[in-house]
Amino acid sequence: MKREWDRNAIVYIFLIPALIHFLIFQIIPFAYSFVLTFLDWKIIGDSEFVGLKNWIQFFNDDLAWKAIWNTVLFSIYYILPTMALGLILALVINMKVKFTGFFKGIFFLPVVTSFVVIAGIWGWLFRGTDSGLINFLIGFIGIDIQLFLSDSGQALMVLAGLSIFKVAGSTMIYYFAGLQSIPRELYEAARIDGASPVKIFWRITFPLLKPIHFYVLIVTTIGSFQIFDSAYLLTGGGPNYSTTTIVYYLYQQGFAGLNLSYAAVLSYALFFIILIISLIQRKYLGKEDNIY
Amino acid sequence: MKKIISYTALILLGFTFLLPFIIMALGSLKETQFAQLDPLFWIPDDPTLSNFQYLFNDGMFLRWIFNSFVITIIPVFSQMLFAGILGYIFAKKQFPGKEVIFWIFMAVIMVPQQLLIIPKYIMFSDFGWINTYWALIVPELWAIMGVFLVRQFMQGIPVELEEAARIDGANDIKVFFKIIFPLSMPVIATVGTFAFISNWNDLFQPLIYMTQEKMFPVTVGLASLLGKEGNFGIEMAGATLSFIPTFLIFLFFQRYFTEGIQMSGMK
Repeated sequence: MKREWDRNAIVYIFLIPALIHFLIFQIIPFAYSFVLTFLDWKIIGDSEFVGLKNWIQFFNDDLAWKAIWNTVLFSIYYILPTMALGLILALVINMKVKFTGFFKGIFFLPVVTSFVVIAGIWGWLFRGTDSGLINFLIGFIGIDIQLFLSDSGQALMVLAGLSIFKVAGSTMIYYFAGLQSIPRELYEAARIDGASPVKIFWRITFPLLKPIHFYVLIVTTIGSFQIFDSAYLLTGGGPNYSTTTIVYYLYQQGFAGLNLSYAAVLSYALFFIILIISLIQRKYLGKEDNIY
Repeated sequence: MKKIISYTALILLGFTFLLPFIIMALGSLKETQFAQLDPLFWIPDDPTLSNFQYLFNDGMFLRWIFNSFVITIIPVFSQMLFAGILGYIFAKKQFPGKEVIFWIFMAVIMVPQQLLIIPKYIMFSDFGWINTYWALIVPELWAIMGVFLVRQFMQGIPVELEEAARIDGANDIKVFFKIIFPLSMPVIATVGTFAFISNWNDLFQPLIYMTQEKMFPVTVGLASLLGKEGNFGIEMAGATLSFIPTFLIFLFFQRYFTEGIQMSGMK
């Protein structure tokens, strides 16, 4: 036993600080966040136990449900276009022509660029006046000037567009890896049988990418429920709360309104939604999942 | 014919993806008063560096860039080191509790960061960490995802290499630093590049922990510039300056980004 401890001593010397760090910055906050939902937390003075009050408030809070609905709507605008664009980019860089490595870098560039930089440009591109580039461009095909970020029906779509542009490059990488794992013999056989490229895509490429479709679907869904940056930077949740997403509402309640206990309830609501998505993923991928 | 279609697709998509960056770079070279009148104002006409001069003279902007470097560089090196050490422990060592600890680590990856931000804010207020670098550095000293990536990689290093070194009398520390760590450099570089990008670009956490202008990292500072409205040339100059470090890291370590994304996603 003594000898075993000696042999493991070096392991524990490095592991124990990491575990303590993990406890302080992950486990305790996770647990404390749950405790907070039952308190009325005050900046000064003692916090008061209020039982389910915050949770009841949540279930009666129209704005919270609107934020959840906005987030679902955002997912609808965002998930499928991201997957489609990612797949298109992957197909394009998978073509046997020169310079694809260079273009792969260009498509990936927004992934490493901060939201703040992209939002700065995006805000100007989608200006709701005739000095905005997008309004200028759609003018050529006879479309009237759109308000974009100041229109409660369009603002969320513009933000989704920003996110699609931002992350399509990482979706491309997943699809590119998937495309390269498809056996070439399949394509050759199909070509000998005289199948058209369109038919080859829908009969071979698309179905064989099924595990990738599923993985990308989960990753983009989880990502879309955590969206915050673009709403904070471009619309401030407006107009008329149309871009108030769950995390933006959480931020507003917690750090603009200082209702930290209520914000904790919202963060747990977010957690449960993401947990459900993850469990669905578990169920459908089973034990042989290719995640992690 | 097929080649023409391929190149057309590449160039059209490539241009679309580059256009925002082109607008940023060219827009930063324009005097702003005239900037807003014309949708094509950013096309070169009378380039000037006055926006950059404004930011450099302002002083605050340089401070933001400096802050970003502080809260990025320390976690980058520390995450690389700890990912190496902890990855090694989980890949190669047997000890009581190993499976349970690793399982807990993996489960916590699922917890969204937004859930932890409120209790962390309260905790850091008690620690006196609000408006200090500690709040953004200490929690980021190591990351589970990095440990996981490194562990995956190290599992593939043959045991014989280690055994040979041990026969020559090397201890754990020597084996790690002389053999395992150098061999794992590609994956450790991946961990470092990801740490750089995520810390440099983070907006949400510094927005909450940093309330004094002089403590802002460049993301929060730039966001406050964007909020002031109307000064497109200065905004774009600021965006360009904050983009340059990410761009350089990306340029030199591009391979590690794409490999890292594949590794974290698939076996």
